[in-house]
Amino acid sequence: MSTAASAVALLIVLSVAGGLFARRAHLLYRIVRLGKPVDRSGEVGRRVRNEATDVLGQRKLLQRLGPGLVHAFIFWGFVVLLPTIVMALLGAVDPDWTLPWLGHQGWFFLLVDVFCVLVLVGVVSAFLIRKVQRPPRFEGSHLGEADLILGLIALIVTTLLLWHASQIALGINEWPADWSPVSNAISTLMSQGEWLETRERIFVWAHVLTILGFLVYLPYSKHLHIATAGLNVWFGRTRRRGRLEPLDFEVEDEAALRLGSGTLVDMTWKQMLDTLSCTECGRCQDACPAWATGKALSPKLLVMGLRDRLFEEGPSVLAGGEASPLVPGAVTDDVVWDCVTCGACVRECPVSIEHVDHIVDLRRHLVMVESRFPSEAGTMLRDVGRSSNPWGKAQGERASWADGLDVRVLEPGDPPPDVLYWVGCAASFDERARESARATATLLLRAGLDVAILGPRESCTGDPARRMGDEYTFQAQAQQNVATLDEAGATRIVTSCPHCFNTIGNEYGDFGGSYEVVHHTELLAELLRDGRLEAPGGDAEITYHDSCYLARHNDVVGAPREIVSRIGKPLEMARNGKRTFCCGAGGAHMWMEERGAAINEERVREAAATGAETLAVACPFCTMMLDDGVKQAGAGMRVADVSVLLAEALDGGR
Amino acid sequence: MTVLVYLEHADGDVDEPSLQGIALARSFAGGAAVQAVVACADDVRAPTRALAGSGVATLHAAVGEPFASYAPPAVAEAIVELAGRLGATAVVGPGTERGNEVMAHVGALLDLPVAANCVAAAPADGGAEVTRVRWGGSLLEVARLHTATTLLTVQPHAVPFESTADGEPALEGFTPSVSDAAGQVRVVDRVGASTGGISLTDAKVVVSGGRGAGSTEGFGVVEELAGLLGGAVGCSRAVTMAGWRPHTDQVGQTGTKIAPDLYIACGISGATQHMAGCKGAKRILAINSDREAPILASADYAVIGDMHEILPALSAAIRAARSS
Repeated sequence: MSTAASAVALLIVLSVAGGLFARRAHLLYRIVRLGKPVDRSGEVGRRVRNEATDVLGQRKLLQRLGPGLVHAFIFWGFVVLLPTIVMALLGAVDPDWTLPWLGHQGWFFLLVDVFCVLVLVGVVSAFLIRKVQRPPRFEGSHLGEADLILGLIALIVTTLLLWHASQIALGINEWPADWSPVSNAISTLMSQGEWLETRERIFVWAHVLTILGFLVYLPYSKHLHIATAGLNVWFGRTRRRGRLEPLDFEVEDEAALRLGSGTLVDMTWKQMLDTLSCTECGRCQDACPAWATGKALSPKLLVMGLRDRLFEEGPSVLAGGEASPLVPGAVTDDVVWDCVTCGACVRECPVSIEHVDHIVDLRRHLVMVESRFPSEAGTMLRDVGRSSNPWGKAQGERASWADGLDVRVLEPGDPPPDVLYWVGCAASFDERARESARATATLLLRAGLDVAILGPRESCTGDPARRMGDEYTFQAQAQQNVATLDEAGATRIVTSCPHCFNTIGNEYGDFGGSYEVVHHTELLAELLRDGRLEAPGGDAEITYHDSCYLARHNDVVGAPREIVSRIGKPLEMARNGKRTFCCGAGGAHMWMEERGAAINEERVREAAATGAETLAVACPFCTMMLDDGVKQAGAGMRVADVSVLLAEALDGGR
Repeated sequence: MTVLVYLEHADGDVDEPSLQGIALARSFAGGAAVQAVVACADDVRAPTRALAGSGVATLHAAVGEPFASYAPPAVAEAIVELAGRLGATAVVGPGTERGNEVMAHVGALLDLPVAANCVAAAPADGGAEVTRVRWGGSLLEVARLHTATTLLTVQPHAVPFESTADGEPALEGFTPSVSDAAGQVRVVDRVGASTGGISLTDAKVVVSGGRGAGSTEGFGVVEELAGLLGGAVGCSRAVTMAGWRPHTDQVGQTGTKIAPDLYIACGISGATQHMAGCKGAKRILAINSDREAPILASADYAVIGDMHEILPALSAAIRAARSS
């Protein structure tokens, strides 16, 4: 075939494939543009860094070393081999054409050979993982689609090697063949003869056509992530993980009032991009406490359900049609309510999908528009608004845990203390959790800090209401608390509860509240470090359970461990630090009935497996849940807050 | 304007929420008399006398075999047929579990929205403006319905009913045609709740068991004492989680909230979520083997000991005192 004829043929297949790809890509773009606005501009430096670590560096994938390397080989291979696509297009037109300069560099072809082999190793390993190992994280994923894609990748790399080998056999290689050990070795197997030239043509065209076929198939498959993942990582949240996007109830135009996600047109464009980025790898599902205990929720299936709905209804909505409810159409009610907002899925996701935000937006619509939520949680929502605490306890009793302690209760107009102790509802009212409030206050006073509490003026931060989707009640609480804290002149706040810690520290900024917030474990560790508290040491075996809202959402991992190591012998659970496993109370689940197996028992079994006699915690809700779990599972462990253990150690044990 | 009210009735009486439904319907009709509909096996059972002075002009009784028991889809078909015949501008139902269910069927049959739990409603250009209770009672929503026929249910105990000087309404029986499918759904059997008639919310004495009961069988001693005291049996969340008792027995924030004169909590540690459900109790007696159980902080009386020893002894003492 002449050069001109080849060029015409290539032009035709290029325009057909390019046209098909562009048509689909344009449709997807228009669907994403349907999404509601969300600000993901700014912080360019951070975003560039995320691209470097999460995309190029494959950081999150490498959290699981084996499968991570398999993916990294294929991905890095894809990056290195990109120029060979252009070379192949040129070579398909005329065997003598290649890229200027790069097409003559031996080192580049060495890289090509090496990565071709690595990609093949990756593909074979991926097949082995999927066919032999069969990890449960793939349950519910499109397995056949993955096989087809792996096959296509193998075909692309194989045809490339064969093409290079046939070029060497023909002697038309523009680069020193010695640099291509693999292609060179294959070329020696190729019989010389008149068919060689034809074979070279067949290989290069097979290579080009496979790539173009892949290109056309791509936007119809879950492998679309090649195009979307990089974008999704770029637009990923730069806010702290525990900080939810506030809703604006004061918008002028009522049509712009967004009350969570009712139908697909209520989703933000980032949420839509999320669904197009999912590759169904199931890392989220594997980390999910709800899924692990047999509940309906899998973060992966949630995102897949929303994506399917986007594809089903997106085109008709673009044409002016109506969108139907996401719940229970795309995902069931149970899925929405099973989530404990622990964020394990978000942390595991290699492509920056924000599952918790999807869940909360679905809840917001159900609660605020449809009044549809697990009925047993209704009392909590009402009590947060009416009684200023989720159990409807009398506010007058809020400070009664401090009876007999010399803790200053701040009255309006009092001079602000150095440290304001925000006790939180659980440590104020729950008999079990009050121990940690008493211990914390005693320790802070002992260290000589000027510390005070707000007493009855303290009110629920609104966190449980917000995680339930009742943004309205949350914002009312937030505004009231910001006013109280500002009036009190609080600058440095210490909290007992990681949920208060997260809400005041990360979320009140959206309502005008700006304070330095520390968790009691951070402050106590600081006092130990400064020698204002003396740690006596000890040899009791203690395993520390990380609270999701402390470790994963807010990166507080070291301080509680510092304390534990000063009073006993620390033992780590399998899932610890930022990869901790929820106690089961998050996302307002403290006030909902649990379906299926109990998350707290699952966690307690893991704690008991360490052999430790004490299970240390740093959250009043973890205290209650794990204490219950210990009793339910019949594990002979003591559950106690780190502050309680420290206070006891200082008093010479109990 | 014709406004039609669906009423629930039993033994010749109309229940309170239905009367409140009439009150809202009258206000919707601008004070004019309204029409009402009931479903019953035969029109002798229609509560005509109870509706004297209610402001109902005509009571339509849908009669027939399907209405011998509660049959929501069949009732809905009767209402739709009647509303069509009368050219009703609005259909109002009581905001009870059953009223909401029937009206939901009506909405589905007419393919129209139903505004549930309204506290006020008035016609507004080509539709209606309603005020309804949202978010578990913490918010009132003003909403507009743009439909030719307004369908709504009335929040119970939120709209006062005042009687008029009118006499009994005229009674008109009719036999609606009920589809085979709708006729299939009806009550075939009634099973009493496990507490033997005394509900947790109404009981003067509640005896609850917690994790300390140990098993389903462990509740035998709890049931025995509750029976002797004429009280109801409750339990904690740990018990329902373990599957020893149904969720309907659970006392707590996520279960039933109770206000008995005496609450006897046996083998219950007293988690905050449990205490939130029994804070209305006048007196709390805690029986627990753990001297440090949190419930002791809220209890008026406490017995430290194993419930499996204490409860049988208590029951025996009560029996002995009664027989002497």
